[in-house]
Amino acid sequence: MLLIACPWCGERDELEFHYGGQAHVAYPADPEGLSDAEWGEYLFVRDNPKGPFAERWSHAAGCRRWFNVVRHTVTHQILASQSNHPVAAGQPKPVIA
Amino acid sequence: MSHQLPEHPDWLWRTPDPKRSYDVIIVGAGGHGLATAYYLARNHGITNVAVLERGWLAGGNMARNTTIIRSNYLCEESAALYEHALKLWEVLPQELEYDFLFSQRGVLNLAHTLQDVREGTRRVNANRLGGVDAEWLDADQVRAFCPIVNTSPDVRYPVLGATLQPRAGIAKHDHVAWALARKADQYGVDLIQGCEVTGFLREGDRVVGVRTSRGPISAGRVALAAAGHSSVLADLAGLRLPVQSHPLQALVSELLEPVHPTVVMSNHVHVYVSQAHKGELVMGAGVDSYNGYGQRGSFHQIEHQMAAALELFPIFARAHVLRTWGGIVDVTPDASPIIGPTPIENLYLNCGWGTGGFKATPASGWVYAHTIATGEPHPLNAPFALERFTTGALIDEHGAAAVAH
Amino acid sequence: MTADTQRRSPLGHLADVLAAHSTGGERGVRLREVPFLAQLDLQLHPHGPAAERIATALGSPLPTEPNTVTEPGSLQVVWLGPQEWLVLGPDGSGSATAELLRAALTDEPGSVVDVSANRTTLELSGPAARQVLEKGCSLDLHPRAFGPGRCAQTLLGKVQVILHQVDAEPTYRLLVRGSFAQYLTDWLLDAMEEYRHPRLTP
Ligand SMILES: Cc1cc2nc3c(=O)[nH]c(=O)nc-3n(C[C@H](O)[C@H](O)[C@H](O)COP(=O)(O)OP(=O)(O)OC[C@H]3O[C@@H](n4cnc5c(N)ncnc54)[C@H](O)[C@@H]3O)c2cc1C
Ligand SMILES: [Zn+2]
Repeated sequence: MLLIACPWCGERDELEFHYGGQAHVAYPADPEGLSDAEWGEYLFVRDNPKGPFAERWSHAAGCRRWFNVVRHTVTHQILASQSNHPVAAGQPKPVIA
Repeated sequence: MSHQLPEHPDWLWRTPDPKRSYDVIIVGAGGHGLATAYYLARNHGITNVAVLERGWLAGGNMARNTTIIRSNYLCEESAALYEHALKLWEVLPQELEYDFLFSQRGVLNLAHTLQDVREGTRRVNANRLGGVDAEWLDADQVRAFCPIVNTSPDVRYPVLGATLQPRAGIAKHDHVAWALARKADQYGVDLIQGCEVTGFLREGDRVVGVRTSRGPISAGRVALAAAGHSSVLADLAGLRLPVQSHPLQALVSELLEPVHPTVVMSNHVHVYVSQAHKGELVMGAGVDSYNGYGQRGSFHQIEHQMAAALELFPIFARAHVLRTWGGIVDVTPDASPIIGPTPIENLYLNCGWGTGGFKATPASGWVYAHTIATGEPHPLNAPFALERFTTGALIDEHGAAAVAH
Repeated sequence: MTADTQRRSPLGHLADVLAAHSTGGERGVRLREVPFLAQLDLQLHPHGPAAERIATALGSPLPTEPNTVTEPGSLQVVWLGPQEWLVLGPDGSGSATAELLRAALTDEPGSVVDVSANRTTLELSGPAARQVLEKGCSLDLHPRAFGPGRCAQTLLGKVQVILHQVDAEPTYRLLVRGSFAQYLTDWLLDAMEEYRHPRLTP
């Protein structure tokens, strides 16, 4: 069972959260301009590291905000947790050590 | 059960030191790597082959799965591939001269909702058209086939019917690996355990060998069969894969008298259960939602799976969990595998079997060996190329593979 | 008023059962439904001018510390998120409060939505109330970590609830969606069962 720190609510049981996969994947600025390969890459390909991974979680059963976590995919240690929410501006950004 | 268990085998293969060079290097001594080595030798006469394994032979998913074998997938491409595997399973014990307890006791996929019924009957029809044995059972027939399933109508998810593939079943996974390893070894294949691939030797765009924890080894062709670690290896070659690695868990009960005659899977309640020859109930859970390489998952998955098992089989109420464990499964966006050449010359890829690759082991080895030997995909794996994530020609098996197994 | 005579609360049919299962004494615990509370979902930027106008209108600022509750007058303002609150009031107070909030919001980005029918409220109180919750809630509810004026959105017996500690007795309020209310009540009654009997001594 993971103990995940919601930037708003603090540490909660994994059961309260919904997983959102890799963080910082932006929608292509010009989708029409992409080649098939680039579009396929955007749709289907995500990082899958063995080690620290910046990923998205939503506190689904709690405050229902999305936020970013850096988690080690072997030890499950949570190295950073941070919100992109406008109200949270000024919070430290997570860094992959 | 009626079968006598074989004795724990003596050493079935040599423990060679790596040579400096091979025609083919296979990375990963799980079922798929071993089957590939076996068929490279048997079908193509290529025996200057090494299988490199970072841990021990079959220490990955191969001996962690719940051993369900079936071929009743929806799409023609998948049914053809998995049916090829099933036909090979039917001859392999004899061919490999090893009784690995392949038991064609049938597999039921239960339907609990109207949607399940529609999906199931559609799949039965598709399977029959494709020459795969498949039957639709109503609730009474399910009860007759597997009396311990709770088919009463007043449960949360009543059983409305089931698909049955009579030729499907289970096998003893570690023995399958040993059987393949022994034959491959007899053909001259070097099975090298404790040898981790840490990088690739390149000449321009071509791969010409691997770096390992036991030194560099050159190779004419390098074939990945690393299951949960496929992305990690591909990264070393500068290749990004549409694969995510997730924990998948299973558990067994203590040894019980024979009570469960078949294999039961339920997408909706989400559990899959059989009883192994020794007598333990074998149950699989769902994947954890998050990526993980730790070979362990979250406890609530186990709890959920046991609740589901009890709902279907009230008779299990007093069974105990003896042991739980996890593997790392490599999941693709369309729940189908990737088998074929890569954009990098001499580098071949076999991955993405996710929660369901054990059943495919022999066919996977067969077509992968063909691809490596000829440089061209076998007709059976041509649709499973990496390019489908560019062309959009996905092979969506989320229905047939909805329950992890 | 026909709507009022026809309306049913999700647990109305269980009022007697809840009363019968409630116990007093030093390990007592009581459960009742507080039906038909007015519930308004309020969303806006917490530091903008509208937030200030609402603070003036309510006579108290919106709680910006996560998982806390303020109690302006007969209302309770429950923090749900960095820019979302649940404004609770007595039965029948919804439209008046909504008008007040909308007037203060003006045309700034934000919303006031009446969600009174979404959840019903269970009140669990008595010396053993915390122990009952601890059987199915992973939060630390000990007074060092949780007390009057605190709230949390969490899971209780697998059901999503808004949990609010009202006083130190302790009294808790649990806001639960209507369709889960019966299940949660069954779960709570089962968890309360042991407190109807004398403590077992070794
Ligand atoms: C709990 C569970 C239940 C399952 N149930 C079923 C089921 O009922 N039916 C079914 O069909 N499938 C099932 N599966 C899926 C099936 O087990 C896998 O799809 C299949 O085993 C994958 O192929 P493999 O045997 O070659 O993988 P593995 O046995 O995982 O082989 C990959 C090998 O590569 C090695 N490796 C990785 N990186 C390196 C490196 N850098 N250098 C050298 N070696 C490396 C690993 O150590 C490993 O031994 C299940 C899986 C799990 C985890
Ligand atoms: Zn939160």
